[in-house]
Amino acid sequence: MLRTFLSSLLTMFYILAPYVAVAAREASDPVDGWNRHFKVWLVVSAVIYLVVTIPLVYFVIRYKRRSKNEEGAYIEGNVGLEILWTVIPLVVTILLGTQSWALFNDYRKTPKDAFEARVIASMYKFEMISPEGIHTTNELRVPVGHVKLTMTSTDVTHDFAVPTFRVREDTVPGQTTHLWFNAKTPGTYPAYCAEFCGSGHSRMLAKVIVMPKEEYAKWARENSAGEAANIAPEEKGKKLTENLGCTGCHTITGESATGPTFKGLMGSSVTLIDGKTLTADDAFIKTKIKDPKSMQVKGFDLPMPPNNLSDAEIEAITAYLKTLR
Amino acid sequence: MSKEPTGFKSWLFTTDHKKIGIMYLFTSMVFFVVGLLLAIVMRTEMLDQTRQVIIDAKLYNVAFTIHGAAMVLFWMIPILLGFFANYLIPLMIGAHDVAFPRLNALAYWLYVGAGLIAVCALILPGRLDIGWTGYPPYSIVGGANTAFYVFAVHLLGASSIAGAVNFITTIITLRAPGMTWGRLNLTVWGLFGAFIIQLVGIPVLAAAVTLLLFDKYLGTSFYDSFKGGNPILYEHLFWFYGHPAVYVVALPVFGIVSDIISTFARKKIYGYTSMVIAIMIITVLGFETWVHHLYVAGTLDWVRVLFMWGTILIAVPTGIKVFNWLATLHKGSIELTAPMLYALGFISLFTIGGVTGIANGLLGFDIHVHDTHWVVAHFHYVLALSMSMLCLGGIYYWFPKFTGKMYNDGLAKFAFWLTLIGAMIAFLPQFQLGYDGIPRRYWKLPVEYTTHMRIASIFSYIAILGFFLTIYNFIHSAIKGAPAPANPWGSRSLEWQIPSPPPFYNFDEIPVITEGPYEYGKPK
Ligand code: HEM
Ligand SMILES: [Cu+2]
Repeated sequence: MLRTFLSSLLTMFYILAPYVAVAAREASDPVDGWNRHFKVWLVVSAVIYLVVTIPLVYFVIRYKRRSKNEEGAYIEGNVGLEILWTVIPLVVTILLGTQSWALFNDYRKTPKDAFEARVIASMYKFEMISPEGIHTTNELRVPVGHVKLTMTSTDVTHDFAVPTFRVREDTVPGQTTHLWFNAKTPGTYPAYCAEFCGSGHSRMLAKVIVMPKEEYAKWARENSAGEAANIAPEEKGKKLTENLGCTGCHTITGESATGPTFKGLMGSSVTLIDGKTLTADDAFIKTKIKDPKSMQVKGFDLPMPPNNLSDAEIEAITAYLKTLR
Repeated sequence: MSKEPTGFKSWLFTTDHKKIGIMYLFTSMVFFVVGLLLAIVMRTEMLDQTRQVIIDAKLYNVAFTIHGAAMVLFWMIPILLGFFANYLIPLMIGAHDVAFPRLNALAYWLYVGAGLIAVCALILPGRLDIGWTGYPPYSIVGGANTAFYVFAVHLLGASSIAGAVNFITTIITLRAPGMTWGRLNLTVWGLFGAFIIQLVGIPVLAAAVTLLLFDKYLGTSFYDSFKGGNPILYEHLFWFYGHPAVYVVALPVFGIVSDIISTFARKKIYGYTSMVIAIMIITVLGFETWVHHLYVAGTLDWVRVLFMWGTILIAVPTGIKVFNWLATLHKGSIELTAPMLYALGFISLFTIGGVTGIANGLLGFDIHVHDTHWVVAHFHYVLALSMSMLCLGGIYYWFPKFTGKMYNDGLAKFAFWLTLIGAMIAFLPQFQLGYDGIPRRYWKLPVEYTTHMRIASIFSYIAILGFFLTIYNFIHSAIKGAPAPANPWGSRSLEWQIPSPPPFYNFDEIPVITEGPYEYGKPK
C-alpha cells in the first residue's frame, strides 16, 4: 500500500518536475529544445518501428503454412505480456510528453528583455509595426536578441511561421496571439503563412531580417517619423508605397497587375465596376485608400486590402503619385 | 420468409442489408475514384514549382478540398460504416437483417443525396475551395458556395445518425442465442465503437456547420470576432467530431485486420479481451484529443497541455492492438493471401503514421510542424493510404462471400505490391518538407523542393495505378471470376458457415452459437 502510494507520488513528481523547473528559470532557446526533442523522438520511433516490423517479417517466414489443413497453436493470450506491452508504451509516452511539456513552457515563457513588434496579417500580406512605429510589409526587421511578436489579422485567420526559429502561431481576426523567438545570428530568414487563407495562400510569404543592434538602430532612426519629417512628402510617399507593399500590386511602369498601375494614374479617368466614370483626383485617391472596398475599378476583381495609414501618410502618397505622370 | 425479388426495382426499393451494403460499396468506390483522380491532378500540378502546370491556385484549392471531403466523408466512412457494417454485422451476429431495415435504406439514399451535392460543389460555380475543414472566416467571406458544404454535411450527418442508431440497436438486440459479447468478431466491436462516436459527435458537427450557414447567408455573427463571435469556436466544434472521425475509420479497420490475421494465421486472436478494451478506451479517449488541431490557434496554454496528454495516450491502446496482432502471428500457420498481404502492409504503413503522429501530438514538437507537409504525410500514412488499402484487403477477404466468385489472385498481389511500394515512398519526401516547416495547402512550394515533390508525384502515380488495377480486378472478377466455395479460407467465423453468396434471409433458422469466431487449433 505504502509502496504504491510512494511510487505514484514519485511518478507525479517526475511528471511535474520539468514544469516546476522551467517555471523557476529563464526560458532557454526553444530551437535547441526542439532539436533535442526531435532526436529523442527519432530514436524512440526507430526502435518502435523495428520492434514491430522485425517480428512481423520473421513470423511470416518462420510460421509459413506447411500443409493445407495445418492450424496454429491454441493460445488465448498472456496477461503478464499484455500488461508489459501496455506499461512500457505508457512509460515511453509519459517521458516524451513530459519533455514536450517542458519545451512548450519555454515556448510560452517570453523573456522579459524581448524586443516587441506587432504583426498584422491580411489577405495576402503581413504588415509589421516596429516598436518605433515603423510600418513595413512582408519584412520584419529585428535586432539580434529575443523577439516577441504580438499578432492579429484583419480579415481571415492566417498564421505567422518562422521555421528557422521553430515557431508559429495563428493570427486570428479580432484577437491577439503572441510568440517569441531567439534571433541569435544576423541574417534573412523566410516566414510563411501557415493557415489556409485563400487563393493567395502560397504567395503569402515574408522575411525576418535579423540585424546587428547598431545597424537596426540606424535603420530605425532613418525610417521613423521624427527623421522622416525632414524629407519631402514625395520621398516619404515613395518609401511608404514600397514598405507597405502597395507596389506588389500596383506597378510604376505602366502595366496592370493585380491592381491598376500607378503610372499616369493621377488625373486619368477610371471606370468603376458599376459603370460610372470618374477622374482620379486627390479626393478619389484619398477615399480609395481610406476605404479600400469602395469604388472598385473595372477589370480588377480583388478588393484592396485595408491599411492603417494616417492622414499625413495618405497626403504623402498622393503627393508621390503626382510625380508619376 | 418471402422469395428474393430481382431486377432493377428490387435494388431501388430494397431494404435488404446485403443489397444496401453492395450499393454502399459501389457508391463509395465512385468517390474513391474521384478522390484519386483529384490526387493525380494535384500531384501533376506539383511537378513544377515555378509555373502553373495544369491548374491555378484557386482550382488547386478546390482540388484538395474535394479530394479530402470525398476521401474521408464519402469513401472511408461509408465503405466501413456503410458497406462492411451492412454486409457483415447481421451475418456475424446471426441475424436475418438489421433492426430497422427501412431506416437503413433511408440512410443510404441520404448518403447518395449528399454525394450529389458534393459533385455539384466540384463542378458548379462557387466551387468549394475552403478545405475539407471549412474554417471561417474564409468559408464565410470567400467566394465559395458554402451552402454546398453545409447541406452535404447535413445529409451525410442525418444518414450517419440513422446508421448509428440502427446498428447499435442491431448489435445489442439481434445477436443470435449464444452470441455473447465475448464471442463477437472484433470487426463488430470496432464498428460498435465507431457507431457510438458517430452518435455522439455528428450532432456537434451539424450544429457547427449550421452556424456557418447562418453567418454566411443570414448575416449572423457566431464566428465573427468583430461582431461578438469567435472563429475559433468553429474549430473546436468541428474537431470535436472531426478528430474522433478518424477513429470512426480506424476502429472498424482494426477489427477487420484482426479478423483477417486470425483467419490466415489460423490462430485465435491474441488477447481478445484486451483488444476489446483497447477499442472501447479509444472510443472514449478519442473525444479527449481534439484541441491538438488548435495547438497554435492562440488556445489557452493549459488547455493545450491537457489535450496533449489525451492525444498521446491514445498511443497506448493502439500499441496494445499492434502487439496483439504480432503475438497472433507467433506460432500461427500463416498463408500470404492477398487479404493477408493487405493486413500486414497495413501494419507496416500504419506504424510509420503512428510514430509520426506521436510527434504531431507532442505539443512542443508540433509547434514547428503544425499545418506543414509533415501533417499531410502523417495522415496519409496513418489513415488515408494504409486504411484505404486495408479496406481493399477487406473487400478481397469477403469477395467470395458477397459475389460467390474468386478474384484473380495474381493480379491482386501484383496490384498490392504496386500500391504498397508507391504508398511507402510517395509521402516520405513530405516529412523533409515538414521538418523544414513548409506549410501545407500551398499551390507552389519553394523551388528547392522540386525534386522532393517529383519523387512524391511519381510514386503517387504508381500507388494509384495499383489502386486502379485493384478496382479493375474487383469488377472483372465479380463478372467473370471462377465460382467460389462457401468457405474458401477455412474460417471459423459465422459469416463463412453459410453459402456464398448468402441466401435472402441469411439463415434458414437463427443459429445457436456455441463458440467464438477465432477458435483455431483448439485441443479436442
Ligand atoms: C495515392 C493516393 C493519394 C495521393 C497521391 C494524395 C495526395 C494528396 C495531396 C497532394 C494533398 C494536398 C496536400 C496539400 O497541398 O496540402 C492531399 C490532401 C488530403 N488527402 Fe490525399 N492523397 C491520396 C489519397 C488519399 C486518401 C485515400 C485519403 C483518404 C482519407 C486522402 C485524404 C486527404 C485529406 C483529408 C487531405 C487534406 C485536404 C485538405 O487539406 O482539406 N488522401 N492528398
Ligand atoms: Cu494566410
